[in-house]
Amino acid sequence: MLLSAHGMGLDAPPGWEVRISRRTAAGQEGDSRTRPVLHAATVALPVVRGDFGGGVTGLLSATDLFVSLFEQGPDAVGTALFSDRGRPRPVAADFSPNRLQRTIAGQSGGQWFFTEAGRAFSLYVVLGSHARRVELVNRLTGVLSTLDLTPGDAS
Amino acid sequence: MTALVVGLTVAVALLGVVVAGLLRSHAEILRALHELGAGREDTAPGSAGGPVDLPFEVGRGVLSAAGGGAGVTGSAAPDVVGATPAGDTVQVSVTAGGGATLVAFLSSGCLTCHGFWERFAASAPGLPPATRLVVVTQGPERESAGAVQRLAGPDLLVVMSTATWEAYEVPGSPYFVLVDAATGRVAGEGSATGWDQVQRLVGEAAGDLALARSAGAHHDHSHRRDAGDGPHREARADRELLAAGIAPGHPSLQLTADEVVDLDRADEASQPGGHAGAGAPGRD
Repeated sequence: MLLSAHGMGLDAPPGWEVRISRRTAAGQEGDSRTRPVLHAATVALPVVRGDFGGGVTGLLSATDLFVSLFEQGPDAVGTALFSDRGRPRPVAADFSPNRLQRTIAGQSGGQWFFTEAGRAFSLYVVLGSHARRVELVNRLTGVLSTLDLTPGDAS
Repeated sequence: MTALVVGLTVAVALLGVVVAGLLRSHAEILRALHELGAGREDTAPGSAGGPVDLPFEVGRGVLSAAGGGAGVTGSAAPDVVGATPAGDTVQVSVTAGGGATLVAFLSSGCLTCHGFWERFAASAPGLPPATRLVVVTQGPERESAGAVQRLAGPDLLVVMSTATWEAYEVPGSPYFVLVDAATGRVAGEGSATGWDQVQRLVGEAAGDLALARSAGAHHDHSHRRDAGDGPHREARADRELLAAGIAPGHPSLQLTADEVVDLDRADEASQPGGHAGAGAPGRD
């Protein structure tokens, strides 16, 4: 079923858990400007979790995935880091155990920065098993192909 | 005098009819109330004025393979899709995590539900390991998100979704559905007046599911072992041949595959409508 909020949409298949929320920007007050973040995983997402999978990645088995799509502030649009136009299409070779935000033995990660619909995003993906990255990336590709980003919700 | 006696007799007869009618009506009302369940618990000694302790009545049982709509024990359980009281959009997978998911259908207005809300806000739900709790209220068009947010504790996963209520055919609140993540099916459902009842019955159901899974795993393991290559497969073939009456030295074992097929055809021709016999090797 297609989930959509804050200019982000995802049609994840059954068995995937998805949350689209607004998170408090680091260093800002709770009622201040916030940034949309989309989390998707094949494990149960804890109510309290980090933007980049804190509290989630430790739950991943070898067949599980975690995806975090985080929107950066509007000042990031047009910067060199976010100069790639359009969403990335991850392949197995993009993943490495040393690209994890938090190293967990056996896991593999990848991160991409891009701009789409006039908004700057970072996509961070954790695979439950580096050895099974080809199989897991195939599942990831299917889910990312349903991603829908629309303009006008940058915060 | 005669007229007075006749008048009194008629009056008594009419009053008798009225009394009989009232008694019959009263009996019908009592019967109807009894069928609705009234008087089972609240007439018990010491229960006056206190909470009525109705049974949980979880419909637990063997998971059937029958499909169809959810909401009935054994049916496929759909994911919970909706919004949180804070406005997040969520899809909660009832099969994620590999354990079980207890979906608690509550509302902000029902008095019985308040006991559950308070219990969840005060402490962890205390469910069996690998069993998680998801509270589902009706959607923001029917529930006040603010009221739900005030009732829900900070660590409680609450989803507002009228569609989920409809998908699980929830008759009213509070209502609980236990989903077995391994099968993606409803393992039990029912209502309760206290969290202790739910905890106890979820614990029993979780134990039953664990037993069923271990029995299934044992069966699968035996089956896989037999189906594999090597000595297990050879032993299985021997068992089946012996069961069919084919021992070492049986003439059929000396035939080639083509000869066996020819033999089967000959048998079928000689026995119209009959089977070729279980002893033909290589047909399984």
